Amino acid sequence: MATIAATAPRARRIRRALGRHPVGLLFVLPYAAFLVLVYAYPLGLAVYMSFYDYFFAAPGAVVERPFVGFDNYTTAFGDAIFLESLGNVVTFLVINVPLTVALSLVLATALNAKLPLRGFFRTAYYIPYVTASVAVIGVWLWLFSDTGLVNSALGPVAPAPPWLVNEFWAMPMIAFFATWKQLGFYVVLYLAALQNIPSDLYDAASVDGAGALKSFRHVTVPGVRPATTLVVILSTIVGANFFTEPYLLTGGGGPNNSSVSPVLHMYRRGIEQGDAGYAAAIGVLLAIGVIVISMVNRFILERD
Amino acid sequence: MLTHKKRFTKRGRVTAAGLLLLLVAAACGGEEAADPQQAAEATGPIKIWYSNNPEEIAWGEKIVKQWNADNPDEEVTGQEIPAGETSEEVIQAAISAGNAPCLVYNTAPAAVPQFQKQGGLVNLSDFPDADSYIEERTGADAAQYQSPEGGYYQMPWKTNPVMIFYNKKIFEQAGLDAENPPLTTHDEFLETGQTLIDEGGVEAAIWPAPTSEFFQSWFDFYPLFIAETGGTPLVEDGQAQFASDAGLQVADFWSQIYENGLAKKEAYNGDAFGEEKSAMAIVGPWAIAVYGESIDWGVVPVPTADGTPPEETFTFSDEKSVGMYSACENRGTAWEFLKESTSEANDGALLDATGQMPTRPNLTDTFSDYFDKNPEYTPFAEQANRLQEVPVVENSIEMWQTFRDSYSQSVIFGKQSPDDAFPEAADQIESLVSEG
Amino acid sequence: MALLAALAAGGLLFLFPFYYTIVGSLQLEPNADISGAFPSPGNFSLENYAAINEALNLGRTLLNSGIFTAGVIIATLALGLLAGYALAQLDFRGRGVIFNAMLLVLIVPFQLLMIPLYVMIVRYYGLADNYLGMILPFAVNPTAVFIFRQFFKQIPVDLFDAARIDGASEFQVLRRVAIPIATPAIITAIIVTFIGPWNEFLWPFLITKEQSLQPLAVALANYISNVAARAANPFGAILAGATVLAVPAVVLFVATQRWFVQAQLGSSVKG
Repeated sequence: MATIAATAPRARRIRRALGRHPVGLLFVLPYAAFLVLVYAYPLGLAVYMSFYDYFFAAPGAVVERPFVGFDNYTTAFGDAIFLESLGNVVTFLVINVPLTVALSLVLATALNAKLPLRGFFRTAYYIPYVTASVAVIGVWLWLFSDTGLVNSALGPVAPAPPWLVNEFWAMPMIAFFATWKQLGFYVVLYLAALQNIPSDLYDAASVDGAGALKSFRHVTVPGVRPATTLVVILSTIVGANFFTEPYLLTGGGGPNNSSVSPVLHMYRRGIEQGDAGYAAAIGVLLAIGVIVISMVNRFILERD
Repeated sequence: MLTHKKRFTKRGRVTAAGLLLLLVAAACGGEEAADPQQAAEATGPIKIWYSNNPEEIAWGEKIVKQWNADNPDEEVTGQEIPAGETSEEVIQAAISAGNAPCLVYNTAPAAVPQFQKQGGLVNLSDFPDADSYIEERTGADAAQYQSPEGGYYQMPWKTNPVMIFYNKKIFEQAGLDAENPPLTTHDEFLETGQTLIDEGGVEAAIWPAPTSEFFQSWFDFYPLFIAETGGTPLVEDGQAQFASDAGLQVADFWSQIYENGLAKKEAYNGDAFGEEKSAMAIVGPWAIAVYGESIDWGVVPVPTADGTPPEETFTFSDEKSVGMYSACENRGTAWEFLKESTSEANDGALLDATGQMPTRPNLTDTFSDYFDKNPEYTPFAEQANRLQEVPVVENSIEMWQTFRDSYSQSVIFGKQSPDDAFPEAADQIESLVSEG
Repeated sequence: MALLAALAAGGLLFLFPFYYTIVGSLQLEPNADISGAFPSPGNFSLENYAAINEALNLGRTLLNSGIFTAGVIIATLALGLLAGYALAQLDFRGRGVIFNAMLLVLIVPFQLLMIPLYVMIVRYYGLADNYLGMILPFAVNPTAVFIFRQFFKQIPVDLFDAARIDGASEFQVLRRVAIPIATPAIITAIIVTFIGPWNEFLWPFLITKEQSLQPLAVALANYISNVAARAANPFGAILAGATVLAVPAVVLFVATQRWFVQAQLGSSVKG
């Protein structure tokens, strides 16, 4: 009794200062170090850069990089291509997010049932996700070109100019490509979440006379809500950061910038044109935008 | 955090120390740049990069081998430029990382002002014999490669004078004169283009990439603009030149090309000319090696509104320079090697290996043996006497992107009249190039 | 049955581009017509594979991809499980900050960090043309840490408390209790992590100037942008390269498929 009485206040003090499991700090330390090294430091540099007329210089070179305050940010809001790229992100999200959530949840539910060939189907839907963009973009270009297979099959109803170089279709094509490519990953997330729904909930639903559709709506959908939050947030992030697709699939954000993305614009201004300060400002705005959208999503999807 | 003075470069130390030490190192890394005074005279091993096409690699390897045999103490290590999305991006990353090689035989003049601003390039004029060497070798065109302050931050090396390549078989199919094709004036060109579409069985008369990369204008608008104006660059003395009557005339020509469907508004995933989807292409002499065997081709200068005789027509040079990068420590060796690699003999070897034109005046006299043996290259060599480069100005790439966006919007996609779009772009560009 | 048919139709639609890639890679002459979608013995050849192997040295580039990817997976599992477990199940000061930082990291466009990172790794640490330099920025996949955290979060505390009462240290709890039940999360994390470095092209391209160190995705992208225009059947060669690049990832997934099923059947933990 006496020893417990003596150590208790000290333990409580430690607990108050460091939490119940101070060893947790040790556990996350290597990862935290990694975050600082690979993200925080370069990110800090990026934020710093966004307030300067910053460009990359050779080591030891004496160059002038004047402080410009919020100039880079005000320039961004008057930059027609940047604004267009934001519009393209909206188009992307409007197509990609609902399609992704709906398809992956339905597919996961179907694949979770005891079906023949289940393994084959899972593989089929997952393969696009595990394959390199470099590898699959080649075949998409070929399929959707002017004389490609898709247009050969469609004949007279094929759009002209063809899909990837059509001002109207280029952006939706990117959204479809991303949905196709990413879907398998989200299916797996949902499959994992479905495992955690107790089967007695389904039993109870069927006792109450609920059909498959009804139990999907009243048991499955609420049961996987945390996974849905994750799916929506992750696909929003993909939507804000897409780069390879407009770069390779639509020939550099074409036609006439109708599929330009903020990251592609950033890459052009920062790396091609050497205006790293301005590119950094776009990056910062983009990151803020994604954080806000994610928080709103989380709030809407997780409230009870 | 931004000026790093302490040395922390030992690879072994870092690998052994692990993540935490790396963290500490983040606060105090860095490397000092070479001291210019000392470096200018220093000799010793150097690294160089050359372009990544097989012909230039073969040339580069040969020159390096020769040099190393003669100069065992100053060994040159050559390799092809690490291939990437653009060479400029690779070079820029290498500049900021401080590990650029001594010489890059693939430096685009449009990127030189940016590299210079970054402190990435050595002013060759610091070598006492550089100005005279460059001006003697290059002739009058050398002035086009000088920085506004008068220094040479690049050594003009080779050009690919841009001309119109055409497919004789398709011209004959369309009932056109394949030996003297009517392509001299804008009107003739448009009419010929229409005939090719109607009778020649091609999808496009000519198919320049309608995409938005900053450099695409070098292969549609710019050569015709240079021809129209007899050799005026896009910007001269801080004034944009393209919103002039001549510029708008060229814009009108291309507008009609796109409006009448003589060129497609979408990019072709492949080689439109090589696959005979288009009857003409805007190319340099490199095209002879690429198409020479599969296509019966002819070549003419780019058209002008009223028609200019070939021997008076100017065009875009599509030149590549050699840059010496400031990370180079043994600049004495680098400069000697640069001179050696651009000697008359080695320029001849370059011409022989690649068909690209060394930046020397009167190529047909200097290398008469070559042109006697390879007469098909002669039109390009003659065209090389009338070339215009991209202007050496601040924010050069941003300027080209601004122009490209305006051109794409107005000429290719017809969203706006060039009469409105070009003066707007001219204003923006003038403020860009004056931002010193 | 209708469900099965719909799934099959969708699956075939998803797989078609891959089928078409393989068919295209075996064509001697590229054929974009509908007839080209079917293998034709008259137009069959392994020429494209020979061409791409000659151009890229597939063995060497595959080995490089393997080393790069394995390094990333090992680091991700080692650091990620520790962090994911701690963030989900341990109560300590600074947890919220680290978790939020982790979310933030998922959001930052890599393009933004690329040049500062490049300068740090090449100039400060001297790790150009080095596997370590290639691995470092990818070392811990934040998505994998997130998956671990989400997984452990769903597991009731009682399970761990039982071990704690028996006097196990937190590390022992992690090793003996948490990790054994985390197989589905670990496998998901491995696959998610695998495709990052295996498919990544921009970063290893920047960091490796030496061809002998380049992973396959980089070598193939370079081939597409530079060499292809001169090959006899560039489209076929690219598709052949794409097939070689895709196969290990697909094989890995098919192989772990079994684990997925097992892990799910054996999982005794329900929310």
